[in-house]
Amino acid sequence: MKKESLWGEALKKIVKDKISLFSLIVVLVYTIIAILVSLGVIVGDWHQTVGPNYAPPSSDFIFGTDFLGRDVFKKVIYGVQVAMSVGFISSMISIPIGVVLGATAGYFGGVVDEIIVWFYTTFSSIPTIMLLISISFILEKGITSVYIALGLTTWVHLCRLVRGEVIKHKNRDYVQAVTAIGGGHARKLFRHIIPNVFHVVIINASLQFQVAIKSEVILSYLGLGVQEQPSWGKMINDAKQELTSGYWWQLAFATLAMFLIVLAFNILGDALRDALDPKLKGKES
Amino acid sequence: MSLLEVKNLSVEFHTQEGITRAVNGASFTVNPGQTVGLVGESGSGKSVSAFSVMGLIPNPPGKIVSGEILFNGKDILKMNEAQMRKLRGNDISMIFQEPMTSLNPVFKVGEQIAESLILHKGMNAKEALEKAIELMDQVGIPNPKSRALAYPHELSGGQKQRIMIAMAIACDPKLLICDEPTTALDVTIQKQVLDLIFGLQQEYNMGVLFITHDLAVIADIADEVVVMYKSNIVERNSVKSIFNSPSHPYSKGLLACRPGLESNPKRLLTVSDFMDKEGNELKVSDERKKPFTKTYDYSGDKNPILLEVKNLKTYFPVKAGFFRRTIGHIKAVDDVSFQLRKGRTLGLVGESGCGKTTLGRTILRLVEPTEGSVYYQGQDVTGLEAKELQALRSKMQIIFQDPYSSLNPRMTIEQIIVEPMKIHKVGVSDNERVDLAKQLMEKVGLLTSHLSRYPHQFSGGQRQRIAIARALALKPEFIICDESVSALDVSVQAQVLNLLLDLQDEFDLTYIFISHDLSVVNFISDEVGVMYQGKIVEHAVASEVYNNPQMGYTRNLLSAIPKGIPKS
Repeated sequence: MKKESLWGEALKKIVKDKISLFSLIVVLVYTIIAILVSLGVIVGDWHQTVGPNYAPPSSDFIFGTDFLGRDVFKKVIYGVQVAMSVGFISSMISIPIGVVLGATAGYFGGVVDEIIVWFYTTFSSIPTIMLLISISFILEKGITSVYIALGLTTWVHLCRLVRGEVIKHKNRDYVQAVTAIGGGHARKLFRHIIPNVFHVVIINASLQFQVAIKSEVILSYLGLGVQEQPSWGKMINDAKQELTSGYWWQLAFATLAMFLIVLAFNILGDALRDALDPKLKGKES
Repeated sequence: MSLLEVKNLSVEFHTQEGITRAVNGASFTVNPGQTVGLVGESGSGKSVSAFSVMGLIPNPPGKIVSGEILFNGKDILKMNEAQMRKLRGNDISMIFQEPMTSLNPVFKVGEQIAESLILHKGMNAKEALEKAIELMDQVGIPNPKSRALAYPHELSGGQKQRIMIAMAIACDPKLLICDEPTTALDVTIQKQVLDLIFGLQQEYNMGVLFITHDLAVIADIADEVVVMYKSNIVERNSVKSIFNSPSHPYSKGLLACRPGLESNPKRLLTVSDFMDKEGNELKVSDERKKPFTKTYDYSGDKNPILLEVKNLKTYFPVKAGFFRRTIGHIKAVDDVSFQLRKGRTLGLVGESGCGKTTLGRTILRLVEPTEGSVYYQGQDVTGLEAKELQALRSKMQIIFQDPYSSLNPRMTIEQIIVEPMKIHKVGVSDNERVDLAKQLMEKVGLLTSHLSRYPHQFSGGQRQRIAIARALALKPEFIICDESVSALDVSVQAQVLNLLLDLQDEFDLTYIFISHDLSVVNFISDEVGVMYQGKIVEHAVASEVYNNPQMGYTRNLLSAIPKGIPKS
């Protein structure tokens, strides 16, 4: 018997599996790139013309150049920062909303529950993409409105999951035991129930992250997203005109970069579920 | 030729933590018409042995490393999956512990019985259903024709176990494996199910392998008993020899640790009285074995009244329809009154669903009462505001049934034990509280170095000790033990009961001890209340209830207790 927390065990399990480990590394590499770009350490000069326009991939420009002769490799790298920041910041907005509303509804039940359920059911009946578009129209165009738009539209699923888990846990004996030792609502909810349902939040976040990345690409493609920076969505949008002339590389490399991170997050989400979900571990946890 | 012959079987499990040998060189036989009891505590390897016979050891992580399992002379271990499938459910069937989860909730029970008949006997759906109804009649289900169309949730626990038995005997198996089939059931239902299995065995001349942690259960149905301890078979003998002159110290401990109805020593004997950690036999002193007679004079008791319950009612509304109108009430606690004096133990017994758990929780106001009052030291608990109630909680505590669900899996033992002290501001600093937690760990018989571990790293008995330490953290006067030993093996149960009694002596505690097991209640209680349909139908001094029961219901409960006397 070793002294080990559930999170420590989960990490160990993920590292043991080669595919999950690879996904974890992909996510870490993307995160490091995103941080370096934000700090201005790399690819700050993406907008400079470095060669002839539409140069195909070669040893000089491994991903080729675009119509202004800018390096596509640098644009793809810059796009990592845009995508990761959208994923991260929109999660930071949607997780607190989803967790607080879901936990409140599940824990208190009754009228509180009914109001919150009514609210998110109404909210989720609006087609997400239309809601995204209208929010980005109201706010000024740009990356900030993408953060907010995505943050405000992706909490519903999480809220529903958290509510269900909290309902399940609030009648467990260990929560009753806290009542018996004189603990109040705040202690029961924040110290006992939420740590036990938090794996749901983590798993959901890893899957939500890639939804956010894809949505940013869609918004940018529609011209509603990122304006003054390169992003994968804008690069794919450029390809509309380029493909007919045989300039395939912008589309190909932007898609490849997106594919890698979306796949990594999907696999990581599944691996986290296997490692953290107590249901799959029997009575052990 | 034996029906089943297990020779030198060894099973290992390969996990991240290393290799565990679950069964080590086990050998036993089952003859046609013979019942063999396989007895041991959880983790002793008894279920793994039985699952090997069914070919149900998951591989990986499990692996049968050596031995032979001969069924009618053929080695099961050499068969392929298709041959095994033909054997399973046809020649060898199994009854599982938990009837609630062994039936598929979306199929009618008649269809579920019919399934194996269609599969193994080649019957068509109509014939199979007719046969299923016949089987249901045979296992004692009333109105089998209409009950065959019922879904599992419409049946009681005992009825579900009967359905499982009907499924198991559907194809006239030659060998029936029963894996703790009565552990989840009430004593009265347990008796009926045991009688049923025994009757069917006589009728069909089946071989039965009966797995249990409780020797008393199989005393009057088994012919031979195999005792397993730490993956090894330590004793194998006829049921009479095991009960009358057990040779291995572990068997002796197992027999002695179950509280009896007639007489018990002051503290129950446990396996550790009979052998040390290395397995060497110890001599039990006569002092330790001496029968102890409890004398409790109810009317002459001078202790002050600690708890008084007056006309307490807890009703749960039954709602139906679109507008969720209340159409009736479930009377979980219906007009209950009693008094309990300081330092005494009141035992509450009754079958599941009789309201004993709700009564306990209502007294602590974990469930709100509908009507009536609960006076604790003269103060009405039911009328208290949240603040006053919180202050009172330090005096009244509860120990739950299932030690697996009553401890928060994400907190260390230290956090769990320190938490109540933090809430009630016991101790001035965290260091002082941790010191108190260490003292409590020693008090309940655990190592202080284990404080930094998580609940999943402990066994069921150890977890229950942790729950007791948490309950004691606030130095309470009154503790409700809600089926606190029911989920434990008999050998562990004895240790926890002894601990509860020691703590009562040391801290002058008052207990309400809730249990479905009358022998346990008899051992630990001064007075006993028998509950039936939300009411206390009989309430008297423990010895009085057991020697001179007034109500027919109490007499039924008493006669259903396994006596632990081998059949002649």
